Amino acid sequence: MNAQSLGSLRTGWSVTLDDCALSGGWTSEGNEFAVVDAAGGVSVFDGKRGDLIWAKKNVHDGGALATSVHPSKRKFATTGQDGRLIIWNLLEPDTEKVIDIGTGWAENVSWSQDGSLIAASLSKTVNVYSASGEEVWRTSDHQSTVSTIAWTNKGELATACYGQVQFLDGVSGNLIQKLEWKGSLVSIALSSDSDIVACGSQDNSVHFWRRSSGNDSKMSGYPFKPSALSFNNKGTLLATGGSEAATVWNFEGDGPEGTSPLELDYHADAITSLLFSNHSNRLVSGCRNGTVVLWEISPNNTPTKLGVGQVADTVAELYWRPDDRAVAALDRQGGVTVWRI
Amino acid sequence: MNAPQKVPVTILTGFLGSGKTTLLNRILSEEHGKRIAVIENEYGEVGIDQALVIDAEEEIFEMSNGCICCTVRGDLIRVLSNLMKRRDKFDYVLVETTGLADPGPVAQTFFMDEDISSEYALDGIVTLVDAFHIDQQLGRSDESTEQIAFADVVVLNKTDLASGEGLDEIETRIREMNRMTKIVRAENADVPVDTVLNLSAFNLDQALERRPTFLEPEYPFEWTGVYSVEPENYKIQFDEGPDPSMSLVITTDQGTDDSDLRDNAEKCVRYYAEDEKSILPDETIPMNTHVELNLASGGSKSFNIIIDKPMHIGLYAQHTAEEFNIQLIKKGSNAVVPAVIERTWVAQHEHDDEVGSIAIEKDGDVDQEKLNKWLSKVLGEKGIDIFRMKGFLSISGDSRRFVFQGVHMLFDAKPDRSWDDMPRRNQLVFIGRNLDEDEMRKGFEECLV
Repeated sequence: MNAQSLGSLRTGWSVTLDDCALSGGWTSEGNEFAVVDAAGGVSVFDGKRGDLIWAKKNVHDGGALATSVHPSKRKFATTGQDGRLIIWNLLEPDTEKVIDIGTGWAENVSWSQDGSLIAASLSKTVNVYSASGEEVWRTSDHQSTVSTIAWTNKGELATACYGQVQFLDGVSGNLIQKLEWKGSLVSIALSSDSDIVACGSQDNSVHFWRRSSGNDSKMSGYPFKPSALSFNNKGTLLATGGSEAATVWNFEGDGPEGTSPLELDYHADAITSLLFSNHSNRLVSGCRNGTVVLWEISPNNTPTKLGVGQVADTVAELYWRPDDRAVAALDRQGGVTVWRI
Repeated sequence: MNAPQKVPVTILTGFLGSGKTTLLNRILSEEHGKRIAVIENEYGEVGIDQALVIDAEEEIFEMSNGCICCTVRGDLIRVLSNLMKRRDKFDYVLVETTGLADPGPVAQTFFMDEDISSEYALDGIVTLVDAFHIDQQLGRSDESTEQIAFADVVVLNKTDLASGEGLDEIETRIREMNRMTKIVRAENADVPVDTVLNLSAFNLDQALERRPTFLEPEYPFEWTGVYSVEPENYKIQFDEGPDPSMSLVITTDQGTDDSDLRDNAEKCVRYYAEDEKSILPDETIPMNTHVELNLASGGSKSFNIIIDKPMHIGLYAQHTAEEFNIQLIKKGSNAVVPAVIERTWVAQHEHDDEVGSIAIEKDGDVDQEKLNKWLSKVLGEKGIDIFRMKGFLSISGDSRRFVFQGVHMLFDAKPDRSWDDMPRRNQLVFIGRNLDEDEMRKGFEECLV
C-alpha cells in the first residue's frame, strides 16, 4: 500500500460493534455519533473521544436497517426489519416513541432538513410523522418497494423506486412532481438548491433530471452499480461510485452533458461509499476493500489526494462531522473509525 | 484481504402444491448445523422452522434497453444485499419462488448484478413437479414449462399418486423438454439433500466434470452391434417383438472404438434420412442402405446378409437387440456370431411440446470467428427463446477445450483443460422454445474448419 507515501489519515478513535455497522450520524454539534448494526443494536458514542455513552442490543427484531439523527435536537430515529420506527433520546437509552409502521422491512428513515418531520419507508409506502411521532400522512403504494428517500431544502420529500422519482409536499403529502425512467433507481442525490436530482440505476448508469426544465440525461458506462452519489455543497459537482475510480461530473456551464468527468484513481476495488464535505470541495471515498481516501478538488477542477485510511472490511457508509473536522467510516466488520481532518 | 467464499444459492421452483415447502423443511432439518436463509415469495403451505425466513414480494425490474437478459429480480437484490452485510455469513441461501415465477430473471440476478455476483454463486435450479397434476399444468402455462426448461434437477414428486407407466411417460416428456436436467423421483419430496444442493450447475469448471454425458445427442436408432465377419453367407434372425417392422442400416468396414461407432452413427443419420427400402423375411439386406425389415409375420424370421471380404460390420438398429433377441448366424455352420461391441443410443422422440432441447455433437475444430458470428446471430434472433445452454467447444488453433454456459443472451465461456490425447470435438445443448433443430445444426456445422 502506498498509504505511507501519501500520508495516512489521522485516526481520532475507533470502536468495533457486534455486527456490521449499517448506518449512523453525527449530532449537530458533532458531540455525539449514533450508529445501528445489522444485529439490531443501537450505540451512541462521544464524538470527540469515542467513549460509549450508551448501547442497547436487539432493539429491532431481525436487525436494524437505517438511522437518522435529528438536524438540531439531541434525538435520532432508527428503523428495522421488524417494521418499527423508534425515536430515541440521544443522551439516555430512552425511547421517545415506538411506532409499528407495518409488517415488512422499514428500510429508510430521514428527518426533514428543518427537523419538523420524519419520513420512513416500509415496502411500497412512505409514512411521514411529526417530530414527536404523530402520523401526518402516508403515501399509497408505489409501483415497487421504495428504494430510497430524501428531503429537499424546500421541505419536499423525494421518493425513488423502480421507474420513478416522486416529489411530495412535506406537509400535505400531495404530489408535486413525478419524474419517470424505465429502470430501477437505487439511490438519490439532490443538489443544494434541489433543482438537480441524480439517481443511481440498476443498469449501471446514473440518471439525472433538472427539475425546473424537466430535462433528463444519463451517464452510463459504469462497470458496477453506481449506488454511491454525492453533490458538493454548491451543487456544481456530482461524485459517483460505480467503479474503482470516483467519477466527478461538473454541472457548471453546459455540463455535464458532452463533458468528460474527473476520474479520481486510487482504490483497487469498487467504491462503495463517497461523500462531499459540508462546506468545501473535499471528498471522502470508501472502497469494497476497506480503503478510504480523502480528496480535495481545487477551484480549477484539479484533484489532490490528501490522505488514506484503512478499515477492516468493506466501507458501508461515510459521515462528515457537521464542522468537517472529522470523518466517520462504518464497515462490514462492525468497525466505526473516525479520522481527524 | 482473502477473497471471501461465495455463498451458494439454490432456487426452488414449482407449482403451488408441488411440495416445495416440504422439500425446504427436509433440507433444513437435514442441514441443521448450517446457517441457512430462506427467501420466500409465497407463504408456504406449511410452516418453516429452523431458519431465517424472509418473505419478499416478487419484483421484476426490466431495463430501459428492453433487453430480456437484463431483467432482474429487485426483491432478491434487496434481500441478498442486506444478508451479505452480516458479519456471520449464511452458509446457504434457498430461494423459493412462486409457481408463476419466470426463472429467467431469478437466474439472471446472479449474473447481472455485480454486488450480488461478487458475494453469491447460483448453485442450481431445482423444479418440483407434482406427478399427479403435471399433465394439466404443462399444457396450460408457460411458467411451468419454463421452470422445467430451466431446471438442473427436476424432482418428480408425489409418485405414489401416479402409475408407473404414467411416470415413465412424464419423465420422457420432461427429458424431451430439457435434456440437461436430472430427474429424481420422490413420494413426499423425500430426495437425498445432495441431489438438490451443492450442484455447482452454473460453475464452468464443474458442470461438465460431473455429468460428461449430459449432452448425448439423439439418434433415429437405439442400438448398435459390431460383428466380425468373413466372406460367407449370414442371416440375421429376429424373434417376435413389440413392433411389426424395424429400420436398420448395416455399415461395412466398421471400426470397433467408440469414436468409430459415433462416426458411423453420424453417417447412419444421413442414411436414415433417405427413404427406407422395404425388405421381406428371407430377402437379402443391402449394405449401407436404410432398410425397413418386415416383421409382421408370427414366430422367428430371418434376413440374409452376403459378405465378400473379412471385416467388421455394424448393425444400426431402430430397436435394441434385446427386444427382438436379434442374432447374427453363420449360415453354413449355424453358429451364432457374438457381437464384438454393442452400445445403445438416446433415441429420438416425437416433440409435442414447444419447449425442447437440441443437442449437437461434432468431431473436429470450429473457426472462432465463424462461431462468434453464428452465436451472436443465434442469440440475437433467438435469445429470448433460448432458456439455457451448455457445452464445450474445440476452437481451431487452441490447445485447450472451451467450456460455456448461458442463460438467455448471457453467455459465459472460458478455456478449460488441454485436449492432450483426447479426441477434439464439440458438444452443445440448447434448451428453448420453438428452436429449429435443423437450422441450428446446419449453422453450427458451417462453423467447422
